[in-house]
Amino acid sequence: MRPLEPTTSKQRVAYGLAFFVLFIALWSWATFGGHVSKTFLANPLTMVQEGYELLAKQGFLFDIGMTIWRVIGGFVLAAVIAVPLGVLMGAYKPVEAFLEPFVSFARYLPASAFIPLLILWAGIGELQKLLVIFIGAVFQIILMVAITVGATRRDLVEAAYTLGARDSGIIRRVLLPSAAPEIAEILRLVLGWAWTYVIVAELIGSSSGIGHMITDSQALLNTGQIIFGIIVIGLIGLISDFLFKAFNAWLFPWKLA
Amino acid sequence: MTLLRIDRVSRTFSARTGHAPTRALEPTTLDVGDNDFVTILGPSGCGKSTLLRIIAGLDRPTSGRVTLDGREVTGPGADRGMVFQSYTLFPWLTVRENIAFGLRERGASQAERHEIADAFIRRVGLSGFENHWPKQLSGGMQQRTAIARALANDPKILLLDEPFGALDNQTRALMQEMLLGIWERDQKTVLFVTHDIEEAIFLGSRVIVMSARPGRIKAEIAVDLPHPRSYKIKTTPEFVALKERLVEEIRTEALKVAEQA
Repeated sequence: MRPLEPTTSKQRVAYGLAFFVLFIALWSWATFGGHVSKTFLANPLTMVQEGYELLAKQGFLFDIGMTIWRVIGGFVLAAVIAVPLGVLMGAYKPVEAFLEPFVSFARYLPASAFIPLLILWAGIGELQKLLVIFIGAVFQIILMVAITVGATRRDLVEAAYTLGARDSGIIRRVLLPSAAPEIAEILRLVLGWAWTYVIVAELIGSSSGIGHMITDSQALLNTGQIIFGIIVIGLIGLISDFLFKAFNAWLFPWKLA
Repeated sequence: MTLLRIDRVSRTFSARTGHAPTRALEPTTLDVGDNDFVTILGPSGCGKSTLLRIIAGLDRPTSGRVTLDGREVTGPGADRGMVFQSYTLFPWLTVRENIAFGLRERGASQAERHEIADAFIRRVGLSGFENHWPKQLSGGMQQRTAIARALANDPKILLLDEPFGALDNQTRALMQEMLLGIWERDQKTVLFVTHDIEEAIFLGSRVIVMSARPGRIKAEIAVDLPHPRSYKIKTTPEFVALKERLVEEIRTEALKVAEQA
């Protein structure tokens, strides 16, 4: 190993897998070897059995579906409102001066702290879940998009002006395409956070979803099911991240060229 | 006939707290005739880029005014094409789409855009690269595309701000010949800013020498070398004589800058 020396893609895969093997080996050693009590940590085999049980007999697929729909619903709602606002803020300095102080403040309000309030306002139905994700995501997206758009290369804007572009042309044909790949990355990042918010919302007041299953299992001391639930969340996150990346690469070929 | 009139234009950059305001450009007067190729030569920091940006409408003069065809310049517009020193192609557009940017802004149809863009692609020798992204091009190719992009708009005047400044010597020489070839054929009006003496003589019909900060016009030298010019002209006695004269002019200015620093 030398600093910054690249590895081959085969080696990368091998190293990546090696970590998982090591992780499961340690887990097996701790549980099968009797170093950790069964009450606190299920062993890998139990976890797989419980997982099968959940999927096959307890309708866990429905819970997964509910959670995914909540994440996507809240996230899309936030993105639809936040991206245009962020673009406006980035492009027009008075709009930025008007909104930036409030958004910067609101960004630090923890979405999970709103859950009790949201339950009062919206009950424990779907609207409450969507709102938690919405609050957690919307201010972050606004601010990051505004910064990205505001950081558009000035010389590109000037070049467009000398080519006869008007203000609307500058926004549509310079600011937006220039910021688009970065905006897509921001959305990918915030989608990851949305997963955290949805689980918290489901842990506190819900009758379905992955988070709800986890609280139920906690009452039954079924650590196998809890771990399976957490792993499912991780896998879905990994898949959505991969899809997002592939979609971005397809959308912005000039970035990779 | 005078196309561009720069009338006592000056530029002072306002002071930041605790600093004196910077006088970048003393009141400067210059007329550029139709189809003229004027090069502005000066050491770095002489306000030559500031002057060009004011003409382009990207900066406002502190005093004086610029008129193009009798109309005062108040902002940037398609009648003044500009090529920058930095690479300013839009990275998300292909070579052809970059060149057609201004045409599309004007509302030209796709067929028309293609036709005009492809004609300029051939003119700057980029056939076969129509669908390449700027990232895939060398620096020289990017600047050729930038020149084509400015020309495709059919501007009244072409403003070039050290467009070959970042290129290696060999590429730079080829680019100079290409630009001169376009000018000799199309008789565009060109204002070309550079700090390279040879470049200023080779390209220009007139060389305007600017002094060090604050910038003002120090000398104006006519270049009576015949057209079409080829690179071979650079070794003729007439060229060398002009070069010697300009070297002296520029050297005194560069020394002033060095002493100020």
